[in-house]
Amino acid sequence: MSRGFNRLLEAVVRIDVSEIEFEAGSKRFTGGIGSGVIISADGLILTNAHVASPQAVTISVTLANLERVSAKLVGWDHWTDLAVLRLDLEEMQRRKIKFIAAEFGDSSELYAGQTVYAVGTPYGLERTLTRGIISNTNRPFSDTHGVRGYETGLFNNWLQTDAAINPGNSGGPLVTENGKLVGINSRAYIGAENLGFAIPANVARRVAATLAREGGIVRSYLGLVPGVLQDLENFYALAANNGLLINGVDPGSPAARAGVRAGDVVLALNGQKLDGRFPEQLPPIQQMIANFPVGTAVGLTVKRGAQSLALTMVTEKLESRVGEEWAFEKWGLSVRKVTRAFARENQLTDASGVVVLGVQPGYPAAEAGLARGDLITKIGSAPVAELGQLKSIYARYEKKPEPQLVEAQRNRHISLYVIKP
Amino acid sequence: MRLIGYLFWLSGVIGLTLSGAGLPDLFNERIKSVVAVEFFVQSEIERQPVTVLGTVIDQQGTIIVPAAAILPTVAPDQLKDFKIYRPGSTEAARAEYLGQDAFTGWHYLRVEAKLRPALVPITHFPAVAADPALSDELWGIGLRNKDEDFLPYFLSARVATVMKLPQKTAILGTEVAGPGLPVFDQAGRFAGLAQTSFGQNYLLFSRNQHGNPILLINVEESSVVLLADEVLPYLGRVPRSITGRPIAWLGAYGLQPMDPEVAKLLHLENKSGVVVSDILADSPAGQAGLQERDIVLAIDGQPLPRLKPDRVVVGYFSQAMLQRNPGDPVTLTVLRGTDHQEIKVRLGEEPKLSREADRHYFDRLGFTIREFLNADSIMQRTKPSEALGVVVHFVKPGSQLATVGLRPDDWIREIDGDEIKSYAQAVAKLKGIEAEKNRAEFILLVSRAGETSVLRVKLN
Repeated sequence: MSRGFNRLLEAVVRIDVSEIEFEAGSKRFTGGIGSGVIISADGLILTNAHVASPQAVTISVTLANLERVSAKLVGWDHWTDLAVLRLDLEEMQRRKIKFIAAEFGDSSELYAGQTVYAVGTPYGLERTLTRGIISNTNRPFSDTHGVRGYETGLFNNWLQTDAAINPGNSGGPLVTENGKLVGINSRAYIGAENLGFAIPANVARRVAATLAREGGIVRSYLGLVPGVLQDLENFYALAANNGLLINGVDPGSPAARAGVRAGDVVLALNGQKLDGRFPEQLPPIQQMIANFPVGTAVGLTVKRGAQSLALTMVTEKLESRVGEEWAFEKWGLSVRKVTRAFARENQLTDASGVVVLGVQPGYPAAEAGLARGDLITKIGSAPVAELGQLKSIYARYEKKPEPQLVEAQRNRHISLYVIKP
Repeated sequence: MRLIGYLFWLSGVIGLTLSGAGLPDLFNERIKSVVAVEFFVQSEIERQPVTVLGTVIDQQGTIIVPAAAILPTVAPDQLKDFKIYRPGSTEAARAEYLGQDAFTGWHYLRVEAKLRPALVPITHFPAVAADPALSDELWGIGLRNKDEDFLPYFLSARVATVMKLPQKTAILGTEVAGPGLPVFDQAGRFAGLAQTSFGQNYLLFSRNQHGNPILLINVEESSVVLLADEVLPYLGRVPRSITGRPIAWLGAYGLQPMDPEVAKLLHLENKSGVVVSDILADSPAGQAGLQERDIVLAIDGQPLPRLKPDRVVVGYFSQAMLQRNPGDPVTLTVLRGTDHQEIKVRLGEEPKLSREADRHYFDRLGFTIREFLNADSIMQRTKPSEALGVVVHFVKPGSQLATVGLRPDDWIREIDGDEIKSYAQAVAKLKGIEAEKNRAEFILLVSRAGETSVLRVKLN
């Protein structure tokens, strides 16, 4: 192996995370193992968003030299499944621990058939090296619940490899023979033979820089749901290699308000021609929209039947379907805030209320009859629009426990419940 | 107490007189009131044979079968070849389907004249004077399957409890009759009609797994009996039309029972109520000003009864509406926030039901569409006035449409880029597509749970 490769191996770490889960009506600590790679001299580690999340309580990093150091979450982006951690440098200085950072390669230069290695901690087996080739350099792969229930993969394509990737490999690097980091191993088809996916280094590098600086990534949102145009060009009477088919428009979104409809074909965005014939062409278009600063006016040239329309809309901030989570332990009730995206997906009139994540059997919420999936809209006579309102009601309850009248919807049917001390 | 004792003694005497015949004789007389009913449900690509049990209710050869015998989405014209068999007989008589009564749920049939003399209506036999009491022994008739000539057999069981669900219903210790067949007391008096049986919880043990809970439903015999005075007054509700209309309509949906704890907190101790989840805007309820979240406490001044389980009150409320006629006024007392209000509603006529919807099967395309109904606007969360398009009723397995992912209940908004504004337009458009022999493909714009997608369908 090359010197570069050996150096890269020194930069790969094992990550042990202990985190809070708000699943069954309580706060619970769970643990997980993943991989990561040190990418800077000041101790930044790149890993997957599904390895270390904002719910992490302690993150412990095992370096290649078998030293164990604590780290903190610096930034998190479920869309690209990336998270950035920072090693506790003070502790490392005190303990005189040294480390090495990996070097990035240019993922755009990869070619199908090129030999690559995956390094990580599959099933807890530290510093496992597996070898394979790049199977595809441009694989679209999006999933609405892929990263701990969060959306992922809409804005980038992935590297596909047949290097064995198993649970625990997540967050580890995909590297070339000369030890350059070209991807972050992220997921694999369970039960399939060697269909693994990695975030290209060029995406990871850009995202990591923003995460290190700002902790998160702000994206613009229009509410367009594109579909592949593949072979529909004749039906829509389109010129060759032009057009983005709109499969759906999120209700209430900027695009919906501007009058974009499902079945429209967007020919150009701000005058720039779009080509969305094939699935792998969609993430770059989504990324182009996401890159606009929030509040940017965007002009679409739309073809609807024989009509040609010019529609203008202003981008909003992209939101996840997953809202803030919390547990009200004396009630045995854990909840998640409804977001605009969740409300749209579930055809709710607005984003007020919280959704029950779980109830603990035998506790007041479960005894009252509340169940996972219920949408809590009111306590007593006060509407619950924000999680904060529920928290303050709960704080009053903790001081002076009294029966609480709860209004909740299940499959849109309204029921009343009483949470009793 | 003496008086009651005397009455019991008296009824005992009557009982003895009647039962002088002995159970086997009573049984042989009463099997003339029961029949097996065979028919087919014709769907787009197959015929589903169905066998159910029925009870003869009059001299004209009218027969009732339980609600569950026919699914609510099945249109009357899909019901084919009704045949009636007497117990132990292989000879079939034809019958006509008369429709379903909305209140009782019973389906009515009329058998052809040749069989009528051999049948005895259940009303021919005396009925019990009082509801069966706890531990009373009742008996009924079961019928074997067709391969055993629907041979009748005797069942008996004791009353375990009597509940209001919301009708008075006896639950017996074990199965007492085939669902849809009459049940009698020891003296042969009509005591009630066996219902579709309830599910029973069991644990299923296997070699590898310990005790998985499962629910078992006995489809051949039932231990649930609707008592005689909940049956006899309603036998005459023979549908005036095959659609079962007129059917009264309120237009309030998603009714939920008010929990007793909630009632207590709202200072409604010992009261019962139903919470209204959804009001259709143009419905009688909507026009009268009934609102979402209103808690209905009384109908025409009569408080809703407290029934167990809690959800039974919803059935009580719905039946109270269905017992009325379109055009009838009804006053609902509701709790809105902290105010009590009287809402005066004039009931309307139930909008088209799924089984009445116009539908068309496109043989070459392999799917059925039906018109958009009021029920669809509730499901799709739109106002009925904004409801355009048609709904997919059936997709032939393996067809092109199935391959591209079209599913029943999908809402078709556009065909080949044209917005669908009526059912007739959609049918004409699809017929046109079917007729074009050289057509290679067509495009549908389809909504499912608020999400739309463009489906491209290849032909040939």
